Amino acid sequence: MNQNPDQFQFIFNSQDEEIQDVLDRCQQYINQNAGKNSVESALLSKIKWVITELLTNAVKHSETSECLLLMSLKNGQLIIEKQDNGNPLTLYHPAKETKIIWPLHPGKTIEDFQIYHNGMDSLMVHIENDNLATFYTEELPESYMPALLLDTSEHFGLLIITKASDTFIYQYIREENLNKFQVCFNVNT
Amino acid sequence: MILKTTEIGSTTQATILTQEANLLHAEMFKEEMITIIANGAKLVIVSFENVNYIDSSFLGSLVVALKYAMPRNVDIYLVSLKPDVKNLLTLIRMDKVFKIFKDYGQAMETLNS
Repeated sequence: MNQNPDQFQFIFNSQDEEIQDVLDRCQQYINQNAGKNSVESALLSKIKWVITELLTNAVKHSETSECLLLMSLKNGQLIIEKQDNGNPLTLYHPAKETKIIWPLHPGKTIEDFQIYHNGMDSLMVHIENDNLATFYTEELPESYMPALLLDTSEHFGLLIITKASDTFIYQYIREENLNKFQVCFNVNT
Repeated sequence: MILKTTEIGSTTQATILTQEANLLHAEMFKEEMITIIANGAKLVIVSFENVNYIDSSFLGSLVVALKYAMPRNVDIYLVSLKPDVKNLLTLIRMDKVFKIFKDYGQAMETLNS
């Protein structure tokens, strides 16, 4: 574990049994570095949800033996980043009935699209450029019976991360074949 | 085994035994829920009294169990959710598809009303 108080680093061996241990260490780092304004418990829960989902995603989808978890808490902003050299992000574009797989062709333009919806929330992705995607949600008019039951796909995790955090981006570093999932929380608001 | 079950007529009370309802336990939970439903329960009341934390994998198993139950006219109620667990269900709107009660007692009262 890195002792630099500005940044916590941890190698996660993509084993689900290790998730709890990583969570405990992350919480310890936050408590030690939050300063006099301790992080309120509701926000701490959201942070815990997000870290769990990032690590669960690594276990289920990245098909790599390890990933790096980075965390920094400075100036009221907590940044959590998961890096790995595993499978790049793949999203299904329902309207085009095709898979969007990173890295995208340079210069390729894809308009924002809906990855998933549960009848009340629409999980959207905005593709800034061929290496960068931003996740966000849009609230839909409330339906009587949520479409939650129609799709039990793998998108609960992405939805949890997006809704629990302030920003959630995916970056693909082509030269290093590196996936970066970065989540940001405003801690002292 | 992840569920401790008690049968009361056609109702099965199923208490989740683990504190961490996560990827590690999701598959077993799904299998045990489907077995309970396949064995003829008409109502399954799932107690989260021991659960401190739940993740997307376990929530996915819960939804799969509900999808298996609905065409068989089986209800699934959730009881004794700690605030963290309830908040996560609410975040992704699962509180809209499951009936949630304070505890077994309150859930069982609905059978008499």
